Amino acid sequence: MSDSHGHHPKPKTPTQQRVEAIEALLVERGLITSDVVDAIVETYEHDVGPMNGARVVAKARVDPEYRARLLEDGTSAVGELGFGGAEGEHLVVLENTEDVHHVVVCTLCSCYPWPVLGLPPHWYKSFAYRSRMVREPRAVLAEFGTTVPDDVEMQVWDSSAEVRYMVLPLAPDDVAGRSEDELAGLVTRDHMIGVVR
Amino acid sequence: MDGVHDMGGMHGFGAVPVEDEPVFHEPWEGRTVGLMIATAAAGLRQGSIRPGIEAIDPATYLGSTYFERWAASVESGLIDAGTLTSAEIDARAEAPEPPRDHRDDTNADMVNWLKGALINRPHGPSGDDVPARFDVGDRVTVKRMAPVGHHRCPRYIRGATGTVTRLPGGWPHASGDGPPEATYTVRFAMTDLWGDDAEPGWLSIDLWERYLE
Repeated sequence: MSDSHGHHPKPKTPTQQRVEAIEALLVERGLITSDVVDAIVETYEHDVGPMNGARVVAKARVDPEYRARLLEDGTSAVGELGFGGAEGEHLVVLENTEDVHHVVVCTLCSCYPWPVLGLPPHWYKSFAYRSRMVREPRAVLAEFGTTVPDDVEMQVWDSSAEVRYMVLPLAPDDVAGRSEDELAGLVTRDHMIGVVR
Repeated sequence: MDGVHDMGGMHGFGAVPVEDEPVFHEPWEGRTVGLMIATAAAGLRQGSIRPGIEAIDPATYLGSTYFERWAASVESGLIDAGTLTSAEIDARAEAPEPPRDHRDDTNADMVNWLKGALINRPHGPSGDDVPARFDVGDRVTVKRMAPVGHHRCPRYIRGATGTVTRLPGGWPHASGDGPPEATYTVRFAMTDLWGDDAEPGWLSIDLWERYLE
């Protein structure tokens, strides 16, 4: 593949031009500063993401009392690990079991528990996911390669008001032999949305 | 409003694009998120971007990306609040130029406050004391209605009857008007939403009291 065109910057889209214009105008007037915008971008690129939720899940695996607190009051329990804030002010944790499978969607926009999962992935915001998950969850899960056995109850959660939802996924069989760090490494964003079981 | 953003149950959008992609495809998408949060924190526009997204005309909504819709709503919010005018944004977009006269383009106090607030803001009152008309176990029916302003009651549950499973608390309605109002987690059988051929299972959703009877 030739890379010879890579030196020419892509033409800016109208939206990109307007966003840059807005930032320039606000900065010039002293209404915001660019370092504030930088800090927000850096936060969601590096500091906040599914690694936070994975730590929550791992702690729940090794500490039954923490698990109980997490299921009782998700907001406070994730706060114990230093996670909270925007789009996570009221967090409810849903526990997957051998008998029940939970999966989360937002049909009206893309509500998502930012402090534990970061910003939502592209597909979570797609019209296909938003329209279909509430109507045919098993068909949608199949597109992620996930098969939920017929005798497992399906529970779909449409995040519509103030609560944000996160799934506590099924534990691996060999929890006892693993460290909390190892357990965190086994948990993915998709487990905590519920599109992977 | 009952707009095209209310997608639950619609047909025709095809398969879910499950491929993984970076948080931001392009730097301007990150700037859009940063501007959304910073302008709200600085009081330069009203907080929620959802009403502005829903006000995008349906064809444009469907033809734009997620962050393009955010950018449109941040822009309309700044204009509605009187912070910027459409004409000055037009002019600057047509003749792009980095900010001039910004020697003091740093605000360490706000950076530190925002970093703290985004990562671990003490959560606000839960609204536990808000009076609630229904209780766990009650059967409730979602009203038939056609609300004009911003709301969070999708069409696909209207007229359906479900069971209250939890009282998460009370908060001002999404439209921002009035005192805190009770919300309910209501669980519906899939067959009550989609008919006898529906996949078996349950759908849970949080609803403000005004939507229920």
